Amino acid sequence: MTSRFPVFAVTFAAVYAAVYYFAVDYNWALFSYGPAVGKWTLFTAPASAGPTMYWYGWIATAALSGALAGLVACLLPTSVSRHLWSGFAWLVPMGAMAAFAYLLSGYWTR
Amino acid sequence: MWIALVITHGLSAFLLLGAITHQVVSVWAPVRARAGNFVARFRAVGSANYVNAIIVLYIATMILGAILYTNYRITARLTLEQGRYWKSFGAFELKEHLIAIGLATLPAYWYFWQPSQDAEHARTRSMLTTLLAFVIWWGFLTGHVVNNIRGLGT
Repeated sequence: MTSRFPVFAVTFAAVYAAVYYFAVDYNWALFSYGPAVGKWTLFTAPASAGPTMYWYGWIATAALSGALAGLVACLLPTSVSRHLWSGFAWLVPMGAMAAFAYLLSGYWTR
Repeated sequence: MWIALVITHGLSAFLLLGAITHQVVSVWAPVRARAGNFVARFRAVGSANYVNAIIVLYIATMILGAILYTNYRITARLTLEQGRYWKSFGAFELKEHLIAIGLATLPAYWYFWQPSQDAEHARTRSMLTTLLAFVIWWGFLTGHVVNNIRGLGT
């Protein structure tokens, strides 16, 4: 691939998927939300009352990481980026999906 | 409000489901000759024409779902936990993560459906479409089941 956009898109998809899995597993949320009180908190700070939602924060962490990695990949010389395999755009996300299915498998074996 | 939102979310998902299903079938079983019967016509759609609509519908459906999630978290999810509907609970947890991952593939999905990429990246295009189709079908079916157990806004 010699054009910049596909380099960004493939890198973004792959890095986002990988980071998203670890963000969920290790709770690397950029911010959190308390639906019972309607308040946002930074990182994983708990809500003042009721449950704390981390999903938005996990997506933000993964999106930011993917975007940064994508931009770095775009800065690489063409001689390097042309070797980037387009299949990473689906292979890594599929791997992450399978990893989540395994992570949550306990719910289907209870 | 929540009932209106969940209905709109469902309708948006329904449109998305139709579009991606047409596209994934046409990718794996394209029609070469003139389409005669219903199945052949289903396969013969101009699948590239669905790309932008799928992207817009995916993002719109996800945004609606993200809003609904705040209500789900303090209502329906409690019903699932207290009723020990663990399989449905786990399926919905997986839905959240699949939808989030599917979002990341949209830029690549858009690019590899461009006409200039027709021959060179056919496999990548097929696999990205299949991945999105799986995510969307899982999300639709899981959301429907969970809403049957405990509807939002009820």
